[in-house]
Amino acid sequence: MMKATTVNAAPPDVSRTLSRAKSRKTGRMIGHNVIIAVLAVVWLIPIIWLVCTAFSAQSGMNTSTFFPAEWSVTHFVKLFQPDTVNQFPRWFMNTLIIACATCVISTCFVLMVAYATSFGKFKSRKLLMNIAVILNLFPGVLTMIATYFILRTFGLTNSHVGLILVYSASSGLGYLICKGFFDTVPRALCEAARLDGCNEARIFWNIIIPTSKPIIVYTVINSFLTPWMDFVYAKMILNAGISEYYTVAVGLYNMLEKSLINSYFTIFCCGGVLVSVPISILFFIMQKFYVEGITAGAVKG
Amino acid sequence: MKKLFALLLAAMMIVSLAACNNSASEQSQAPDPGQSDGAQNTAAPGGSSDPITLTLWGAEEDQDLLAQLVEEFKAEYSDYTFDIQIGVQSESTAKDTILTDVEAGADVYAFASDQLTDLVAAGALLALDDTMDQVLQSYTGKTLDEIMSANSAGSVEVSTYEDTLYAFPFSADGYFMFYDPTYISAEQAQSWDTLLDAAEAAGKRVGMTLASGWYNAGFFYGAGFTTTLNADGTTVIDWNGTSADGITGVQVTQGMLGIASHPAFLAIADGDVSNQINSGSLAAVISGCWDSSTAEANFGDDYVACKLPTFTCGDQQVQTGSVASYKLMGVNPYAENTGWAMLLAEFLTNEQSQVTRFEQRALAPTNANASSDPSVAANKGVAGLAEQSAYAVVQTVGQRFWDPTASFGEQIAQGTIASDDASVQAALDSLVEGVNSAIE
Amino acid sequence: MNESASAVGYGGKVKRSISAFFGAIGSFFADFGRAAAKGDAFVKLSLIWWGAGYLRRKQFVKALIMTLLEVGVILFSIFFASQYVPKFNTLGTVQAEQIFNMQTMQMEWNDYDHSFMILLFSLFSFVVWFVALVVWMKNTVNVYRLQLAAERGKHINSFAEDVKTYLDKKFHITLLSLPVLGIVIFTVIPILLLVFVAFTNYDQNHMPPNSLFTWVGLDNFVSLLGGGGLTVTFGYAFVRVLGWTLVWAFFSTLTTYFGGILLSLLLNSKLTRGSRFWRLLFVITIAVPQFVSLLLVSNMFSNNGIINTLCSNVGLTDFLRNAGLISTSYIPFLSAPGWAHVMIIFINIWIGVPYQMLIATGVLGNLPVDQLESARIDGANKTQTFRYITMPYLLQVTAPSLVTDFVKNINNFNVIYLLTDRTFVTTNQAMANSQAREVDLLVTWLFRLTQDYYNYKMAAVIGIMVFIVCAVFTLIAFNFIIRGDKEGVYQ
Repeated sequence: MMKATTVNAAPPDVSRTLSRAKSRKTGRMIGHNVIIAVLAVVWLIPIIWLVCTAFSAQSGMNTSTFFPAEWSVTHFVKLFQPDTVNQFPRWFMNTLIIACATCVISTCFVLMVAYATSFGKFKSRKLLMNIAVILNLFPGVLTMIATYFILRTFGLTNSHVGLILVYSASSGLGYLICKGFFDTVPRALCEAARLDGCNEARIFWNIIIPTSKPIIVYTVINSFLTPWMDFVYAKMILNAGISEYYTVAVGLYNMLEKSLINSYFTIFCCGGVLVSVPISILFFIMQKFYVEGITAGAVKG
Repeated sequence: MKKLFALLLAAMMIVSLAACNNSASEQSQAPDPGQSDGAQNTAAPGGSSDPITLTLWGAEEDQDLLAQLVEEFKAEYSDYTFDIQIGVQSESTAKDTILTDVEAGADVYAFASDQLTDLVAAGALLALDDTMDQVLQSYTGKTLDEIMSANSAGSVEVSTYEDTLYAFPFSADGYFMFYDPTYISAEQAQSWDTLLDAAEAAGKRVGMTLASGWYNAGFFYGAGFTTTLNADGTTVIDWNGTSADGITGVQVTQGMLGIASHPAFLAIADGDVSNQINSGSLAAVISGCWDSSTAEANFGDDYVACKLPTFTCGDQQVQTGSVASYKLMGVNPYAENTGWAMLLAEFLTNEQSQVTRFEQRALAPTNANASSDPSVAANKGVAGLAEQSAYAVVQTVGQRFWDPTASFGEQIAQGTIASDDASVQAALDSLVEGVNSAIE
Repeated sequence: MNESASAVGYGGKVKRSISAFFGAIGSFFADFGRAAAKGDAFVKLSLIWWGAGYLRRKQFVKALIMTLLEVGVILFSIFFASQYVPKFNTLGTVQAEQIFNMQTMQMEWNDYDHSFMILLFSLFSFVVWFVALVVWMKNTVNVYRLQLAAERGKHINSFAEDVKTYLDKKFHITLLSLPVLGIVIFTVIPILLLVFVAFTNYDQNHMPPNSLFTWVGLDNFVSLLGGGGLTVTFGYAFVRVLGWTLVWAFFSTLTTYFGGILLSLLLNSKLTRGSRFWRLLFVITIAVPQFVSLLLVSNMFSNNGIINTLCSNVGLTDFLRNAGLISTSYIPFLSAPGWAHVMIIFINIWIGVPYQMLIATGVLGNLPVDQLESARIDGANKTQTFRYITMPYLLQVTAPSLVTDFVKNINNFNVIYLLTDRTFVTTNQAMANSQAREVDLLVTWLFRLTQDYYNYKMAAVIGIMVFIVCAVFTLIAFNFIIRGDKEGVYQ
């Protein structure tokens, strides 16, 4: 609309109007960016508090001022000096290992199921997909106790293998986004390959996988993050109280225990910061693929 | 892309495989919790080839202490070889972990005394009966009766359920009052009214947790009310009636409302007490030994630990009661080496261990000899606890007690109960109905 | 566990597929019947000895595999299933008893029954037998097909050729077998198990191994729905919690959905400078694990937390108290029902909008260029293009995800648990008597019932209720709101 007024303006005034319009446009641009900046600040307040608290000299929670009275890095140093409560370096390694394994298994499972349901032409396909729908409607926390006893039967409680299984064994159920993505792959591509004598396995490996970078990135990130975020299952399965086995989430969550919070709150924040940094970097690098993957799948599912 | 993917996949697989092997081999050192029923180890006592495996759970802060005590235990029974693994499990949450899967629980574990009834009901505590008495006599030379009489009467009472001892007490764990003598005189600390007025005059506040049946029951116990536990696990409270001392529950509640509505009173969420002491806004706080060092840091070296103040009930002053709580060491009957587990639990709670525990952790002992040590009596926190213990009541309640009483305390803290007799009576009736209801 | 299972667009096909489902089962049985009736002696022998038919067609490896499989099932039944399945109707009768052995210093236990294990292993046996049954029928059909092929003189695959088909025509079986196995063990069996628990009295008074639990029929459902003398308040609490669950799911879904679209429009506007940078700032809230960020926020907003200190410093607390909005000396952000409900939804916006923003950003990037172009040629201005092309496209494309987000929010455990578990104590005595709180969702209530009260039977009933709510909603949404199945459009 603004454009319209500019065009209708009388010729002698063109340059003045233009510059006025330009300055108005600059004004709008500044206003627009200021709004975003304000929103961003609001969004970041808790994160800023997290970082500030992590650099506080006080070990308990600070409830009187937003910024700590004294700044210090001692708690980051303490985080890397294991004691009976804090084993952060160990936990970090545990979680990294579990995350890597989960990530590999989950990604494979998701791709496999998605390919089979998207490209397969077998009779029970619809049936399987409907069962998956129904299974997804049950609340996950309900089945924790049963999962625990199943793992115990196999002697897999208090072991990382057990945790990996819990995080990845059912991951096939999360195939829908990936299937949505596969559905958009032109079928002519596969037909051509089939005419060239490729079998399904080769089509899957040589044609579909290479074109699915965004969705693979999306699945990899999601499954990689699960072990870093989950504290409920991990707490239940790692129930022998051996803190060297803990994942980051269980260990840090434990620090907020009544008797510990006062001496470990700042260390908890340090741990939180250190976990978030690599994940943020991961997001930053993979942002483009992640967005592509999620939309390609979500949109067409 | 495909090559990259394949490479990534392979690398991750190798890393995780290597790691899993690693963790699996570590795992094998721990006793397999899955094998419990029927798997009997036939190793005879004294057969030094097979070490006796035991697992032990204690609080995070106690880990070093426990490691030291376990070494002493091994030295005590040097004829045998042991493989004792110590795990972290805070006393306040031991029940939650144990009851999820009793068979996977540690052989010996420390827990807070309020969990005893639930643990016994779930069969998670070994009954210390005549058989165990014989074992104790043959290995330690002590009888169960001797152990019971060596510890304070209250601590033995909380460890007993239906005339059977179920755990060894090792530490007293109740609450009392800390205050800062700069703002509050000993005189003013005698009653809630003067205490709160003094704090207000100093621009400070007095903190207490109300939203917990552990803390707020103290007011009712002080007025002579009781809680009892039936054999079927239901709790009986009579707080909506009149106590043995002739005080009505309405009067007690009105007294609590009077305290909670005082501008200098600060209701603290359960578990947030240390933070609030640290924030510097408090002149006095109701807490326990676990906050001694925090209190010292904030209230100064001359901080005072003493009994709770009296509160106004109708037209009289009533001493605020408290809950006699203890930390106990229990034995899991599903332990592989139950007898040795019991001996370990006994060792960890004997007089010498209690002295060591006091020296390292400043926790009040329950053993009479250990308590009579002058250094123990000199500890302010322990002294404060001892002062309040005259008004402390053993709290035996079932699971239905906690949520209703927490809600009741929160209603008082937020002032949602009007202070007229009818509303208070209605609130109490509803509380009693909730607590006394059967377990479904 | 299924955190990554953000299933989008499911459910639409349920109705139509029901008939297809029964049709498929019907034809499967018909095939089997025909094979069993018309097959030759070896096909009939295959009903008893699975490998017989293959042996007749000289498929020795297959015959061996099927025989081993059969032996496996039989051994499993004799040595494993027989220990548990016969006790399934009572869930065990032998109470645990112990005698201390002074010699070994060990406890000697009788061979006691563990109700939960009986339930679990019986279920496991049922699943194994079900699979065996399908394999057995399928096997008969296959053998009969082989017979027909042989009679017609067609080529019969060698084992190597058979294996090859698993990389081609039957590649889907190769792909699906492991994931499906995982799902069966870690999702299907646990869900079935808990569905069964809803019909037992598995609670704190009946906890294995110390005591046994048994079947009680529909008693638990009756007590949840307000019947039964024992549960005075369970029905009341259930209705309250269900109400809040639905309100929460509705508002949290809509606020984050539209918030995400607005934010992405803001960020993708031509006026924005450095949109990649801004976007990263918002995405950081996703990158911080929720147990850190939400616990932190919960502490910030606690009764004596930093926000309350700031509010009282600037006089907001006094202002609100004078206005009669609060009766406490603090602002009960997360500790009084009304306040907490609003705050939880606001904090959820904080957590959820960046994620929705990413989705919306992606969708906006895929805008149909040709439509935009033709609109521009037709002389549509920016507002018109936005109103008639961008928005409809955005809504149409992302609307199905609203349904799945709604279901996900009904089961949104983290936000509620982490925000309120340590801060919120209910002041409603009737709720407290059922261990529920005003801010609980069905799932958090369920979790507290299992973790703190070991009331598995009621938790299982609530779990089934959650499922019913989600299922009903999904069916309605897909039948009335979103019609049509887009699968196939692209194929």
